[in-house]
Amino acid sequence: MRKSVLAVLLLCGAALPAMSASAPADKPEPKGAAGSFTGATANMAPNDPAGQWTRQARDYANTRYSPLAQINKSNVGRLRVAWTFSDGQMYGHEGAPLVVGDTMYLVTPYPNIAYALDLSKPGAPIKWVYQPNPDPRAIGEACCDKVLRGWAYADGKLIYNLLDDHTVAVDANSGKEVWRVLLDDVSKGPTLTQAAFVVGDRVYIGSSGGELGTNGWFQALDVKDGHTIWKAFTNGPDAGALIGDDFKPFYSWMKGKDLGVSSWPGEMWKQGASAPWGWVSYDPDLNLVYYGTSNPGPRTPSQRPGLNLWSSALFARDANTGHAKWAYQLTPHDEWDYDGINENVLIEIPWKGARRKVLVHFDRNGFGYTIDRATGEVLVAEPFGHQNWASKIDLTTGMPVVNDAAHPAVEKKVENICPPDIGVKNWNPSAFSPRTGLLYAGVFNSCMDLTNHIVQYIPGSPYDGMEMVRHAGPGGNWGEFIAWDPVKGKRVWSIKENLYVWSGAVVTGSDLVFYGTMDGWFRAADARTGKVLWSQKLGSGITAAPITFTGPDKRQYVAVYTGVGGGAGVLRREKGFMPGGNTLYVFSVDGAGIGSGTTQLVSHAEAAAPVSVPPAAAHN
Amino acid sequence: MIKFALALALIATPALAQVTTETPNPFEGKAEAAEAGHILFGKFNCAGCHAYDLTGGMGPDLTDTSWMYGGKAGEIYLSISEGRPRGMPAWKDKMTADEIWQVVSYIQSKRQ
Repeated sequence: MRKSVLAVLLLCGAALPAMSASAPADKPEPKGAAGSFTGATANMAPNDPAGQWTRQARDYANTRYSPLAQINKSNVGRLRVAWTFSDGQMYGHEGAPLVVGDTMYLVTPYPNIAYALDLSKPGAPIKWVYQPNPDPRAIGEACCDKVLRGWAYADGKLIYNLLDDHTVAVDANSGKEVWRVLLDDVSKGPTLTQAAFVVGDRVYIGSSGGELGTNGWFQALDVKDGHTIWKAFTNGPDAGALIGDDFKPFYSWMKGKDLGVSSWPGEMWKQGASAPWGWVSYDPDLNLVYYGTSNPGPRTPSQRPGLNLWSSALFARDANTGHAKWAYQLTPHDEWDYDGINENVLIEIPWKGARRKVLVHFDRNGFGYTIDRATGEVLVAEPFGHQNWASKIDLTTGMPVVNDAAHPAVEKKVENICPPDIGVKNWNPSAFSPRTGLLYAGVFNSCMDLTNHIVQYIPGSPYDGMEMVRHAGPGGNWGEFIAWDPVKGKRVWSIKENLYVWSGAVVTGSDLVFYGTMDGWFRAADARTGKVLWSQKLGSGITAAPITFTGPDKRQYVAVYTGVGGGAGVLRREKGFMPGGNTLYVFSVDGAGIGSGTTQLVSHAEAAAPVSVPPAAAHN
Repeated sequence: MIKFALALALIATPALAQVTTETPNPFEGKAEAAEAGHILFGKFNCAGCHAYDLTGGMGPDLTDTSWMYGGKAGEIYLSISEGRPRGMPAWKDKMTADEIWQVVSYIQSKRQ
């Protein structure tokens, strides 16, 4: 165990001084200041106008890249608050605002209230409020706070999930509900926390409830009326999982009939969770949607011998029919709660003399995967942070080589398994720059002492069994922010942070990358060197993704929600963890823009003669 | 441990007609009841929300000092049996009265 810890430490250059960026000696050299480190590019479809932000990750490929460059390395140090907006809800804030035309759209965590803010008027006043009043029973069924990871705009509607298993569409102009559909039974455990993802006339929704013994599903709804076009269960018989003749996983151990049944004992697949609660991406050329599935249920692995397909896996599905094209189980028979739901960033890389269409996936299990997205072949799988559960991913089989010391045991404490349940990175989305060819991600550095317990399935209650104590990994810092080369599978630079970096990232056309910390710092770093160019302390920790947009005044703004919570709450007893909050901060150079100045007020003279000023009162 | 639970079930007073906030715990002062409650706390997935060390997670901390629905034995019993708004399910159809009282004993043994 110790040897592998050291090896990983050396590999990742993890022992770095606080708040300074470091590069390993073998860092790739960019071809000049404007050159790419890797030659990687991305299809930015649907190619929205540069100043708009109409979907959570800005594009189908999930790059979170903005071409805006008005805020640049020379003026980023002058970023100041332009205006703020508090929504009053105290659960964790995990979504990014959307900007469509002159309107910004926000949705709170439970009770999932939507706001439209008018960016064309001083102070960005509220245009409308929509209150869906979700079922409060959902509060007791959401494992990791009562969160919502985002919302979508399409066809003049704001579309998003309610915690109580409804999806709603709201008229973007009036705030009136257009449709509301019920997708599951919250009393049995499933909730909806995922960010709805829209392509054309379809909205893609995945269920939550990895710790609740749910039966995970992913479905496509019609944007017009919300009716289900297709629905694919993760586990169970092939028919329900939409696995047919056109399903061609790259590795042989995932080939066979009804593996979603036979890789489980008895009928345990019915409570096997594998809920697709994370991000969705879309390739318009291949017409495939990509997403990952959660941990298997229960979390105690000795109760479910077998591979437990299709938990902790990636799926590529035909966007029209839902038929699975390929799948890849990242953590077979997951013993540590390594959900596979993190984002899949679709890029093109130079690979052995040709261009390959790949997806990059930072998994909770600590490996950064670069996978051929047409076939499911793993090209690169290297640790992007500290882990010791596997010595490597065998690229000939696609299987991890698990370290013996990392297997948990029932009623026995197994010490120092890295990472713990929450992973080396969680759902917090990374960003990709086509200018640098690098990905940027907030990562975690921690381990756990794990004791497992046998649990029974009781509908609507946790189906869990993991008792753990988490501690910081090597170096004592819980988190880092890294730049990653997806071709070589190596870090290019990293910034140490005190707590998990659980925010998303955005990278711009001026090579600035923005991220936030759980102790309330919002930062801009040079995307090429990792040098921090600007930081601003905010009122709560940050677990949402920043965005950048152009206002009606042609000014570039950067916006981020504060309000630490969600899974990040596992560190609530650590020094520096901030109280919750609910404020959206919007920044501009010098704080200029619609949120300040003297022009909003009109003073009326009430008397012709000057008013005499009384002398100041004397203090006794 | 199952033996413990059975033995305790036999000595408990006949099924209590109506538990109120003032009803005393029939297992008051019996360490074996708290131990049986410890087992039940895991078995009925209480730990999934309140954590194996009772310090909370999905559900509230059960080791702190002041509770919205009260910390007397009868009050804790009612919170478990009837459920509470904002997430606590009702357990009266899944657990026997004695099992609930044993879990009450365990929770009371862990309060600071």
